[in-house]
Amino acid sequence: MALAQTQEPAPPPLSPACDVPASDLSSPVPMPNVSARLQQMKPLRILAIGSSSDLAYGAPSGIKSYPMRIESLLETSLKGSDIDVINRGLPGEVASTSAERIKSEVVTEMPDLVLWQVGMNDALSRVDPNEFEQTVRSTIGWLRDNHIDVALVGMQYVPRFAKDAAYYEIHDRIRRIAEDTGILYVRRYDAMRFIAKTRANQPLMMSDQFHLNDLGYQCMAEYVARAVIASVYLRKFRPAGK
Amino acid sequence: MRAANEVDFWRGFALVTIFLNHIPGLTFERVTFHNAALSDSAELFVFLAGWAMRLLVQGSASKLSPAALVVRLGGRALSLYAAQAVLTELAIAMLAACSILLDAPFLLDWHNASAVFLDPIRAHIGLVTLTYQLGYFNILPLYVVLTFMAPGIALIFRYAPYLLLPLSLAAYFAVLITGFNLPTWPVEGTWFFNPFAWQILYVLGFLFAGRDGLGGWARRNRKLLRMLALPVAIIGVPFALLDYAPDPISLPEPKLLFMFDKTYLSPVPLLSSLALVALFGGLFPRIMQHVQSLARFFAMLGRNSLNVFCIGSLLSLGGQIFRFAFGGRVATDAILVILGIGIMGWVAWVSEWRNQLQARRGEAAVSLPASASSAG
Repeated sequence: MALAQTQEPAPPPLSPACDVPASDLSSPVPMPNVSARLQQMKPLRILAIGSSSDLAYGAPSGIKSYPMRIESLLETSLKGSDIDVINRGLPGEVASTSAERIKSEVVTEMPDLVLWQVGMNDALSRVDPNEFEQTVRSTIGWLRDNHIDVALVGMQYVPRFAKDAAYYEIHDRIRRIAEDTGILYVRRYDAMRFIAKTRANQPLMMSDQFHLNDLGYQCMAEYVARAVIASVYLRKFRPAGK
Repeated sequence: MRAANEVDFWRGFALVTIFLNHIPGLTFERVTFHNAALSDSAELFVFLAGWAMRLLVQGSASKLSPAALVVRLGGRALSLYAAQAVLTELAIAMLAACSILLDAPFLLDWHNASAVFLDPIRAHIGLVTLTYQLGYFNILPLYVVLTFMAPGIALIFRYAPYLLLPLSLAAYFAVLITGFNLPTWPVEGTWFFNPFAWQILYVLGFLFAGRDGLGGWARRNRKLLRMLALPVAIIGVPFALLDYAPDPISLPEPKLLFMFDKTYLSPVPLLSSLALVALFGGLFPRIMQHVQSLARFFAMLGRNSLNVFCIGSLLSLGGQIFRFAFGGRVATDAILVILGIGIMGWVAWVSEWRNQLQARRGEAAVSLPASASSAG
């Protein structure tokens, strides 16, 4: 296998502030399309889409969006690779609208990997979990039929919703969908909860306890970048997460 | 106030459907027709907007000089633009107020609103240039652009009517082939409804509304069109129920031609919407005969479509916030729908009352000098 013969990049280390146990982050899964593109030294196009946190503009404090950070993290780790992250995140969007936009964006942007941040607004809009699950599953199926790898970026941990049944139900459905379909799932909820419980003096959110701060975006980007690279390069060392 | 007619009735129907479709997760959203068709009420709304424009151009504006026609239609576009600006500001204020009242900062993100709060300098430029749109509030920006195109459409129709459809089709296919779309800013992306693709439906509504040309041909061949439309609509049902979309990987270029794409209004959803118009157009007299009160109610909504559209959009947003606060049970959803449609009806009724008062004031102003002169 060409990947094994070439010098393999290590997954970018998590910065100390973002560090969480691997079990709280993601399990490597096959990403055949991304692996093939990298093996063939072809440019890799990543579509970042979904609900809040995918802000594409600089916030007042100069916060960089998480897709921009992922692009630089991946380019640093995968030296020599041409990575293009297309940011199509829309804050406050529910999965059914993202699903509609994904189909348009796939045709016009032709991505190799879709990073779908999903769930938060469906939970808050009280969308029926079955309806939500069906939307996400059918879109994942459609993307895979088109040889596009998918990674779900899970919901964020918000202390206020820690006991909200609807919120947790959607969180649970995302986990189950990822397990059943064998796609990459970045367990943002678990990672953020770990940090909240173990490093309470290190907030990942602004003072409103909802919007991510600079560190929150940085950690999110690191989690996603690490999960993608681990899936592409480390799969042969670790069993797939099931 | 004009009597209930078919165009107003279907416009009212589209407005109620848009209200329901824009509350994600709403129980009653599942019974709207987009669940069983490859097009939805946005297509119907744009088609009827083109139809209404033709009635205006051939009616009260038919005797206007070219310059006056441009001013008349341009003024209409400016009114819509102003409505879009006010509506967006109201929606932003609603989200801000509810985020304070409910102590819910995440409401500031809903409908893509967060740029206003986190990046207000650029967001405000985007709001007035229409490059920044709230999610679920993106039909009106499309409509604004189409009405700004309306003077051009009306002038081409007046001086070179046979050029209108070829030009519109050329623009439509050029967009489908190239994938061109307007960018959004400061939130990176593209327009949810590509106006250069959707203009085809506006122009078709305009042309089918006429009693000559394409409209005349359609009226003469109504039976044939219905026979052709029936299989198109029936074939769409399982695709819509299964949420099927073609795999672009197996499609030849240009892929947008063969997709079921909403942003670019690909030929399949376009044909689906035209088939539904062919099938259900002309049913109004029967609806009026059997459920007169419903027909009159929808027609009243349609007669006041801009006001009802604006309040319907805000009610959808209110409904979404209501569902967050009170949950999404069938009973609360039913209250929400009854209340929402009731308020839409009340707004239409008040709008007509206001129009009547204005008309009476106009009559009084005209009759006053006349009576004064006769007294003198």
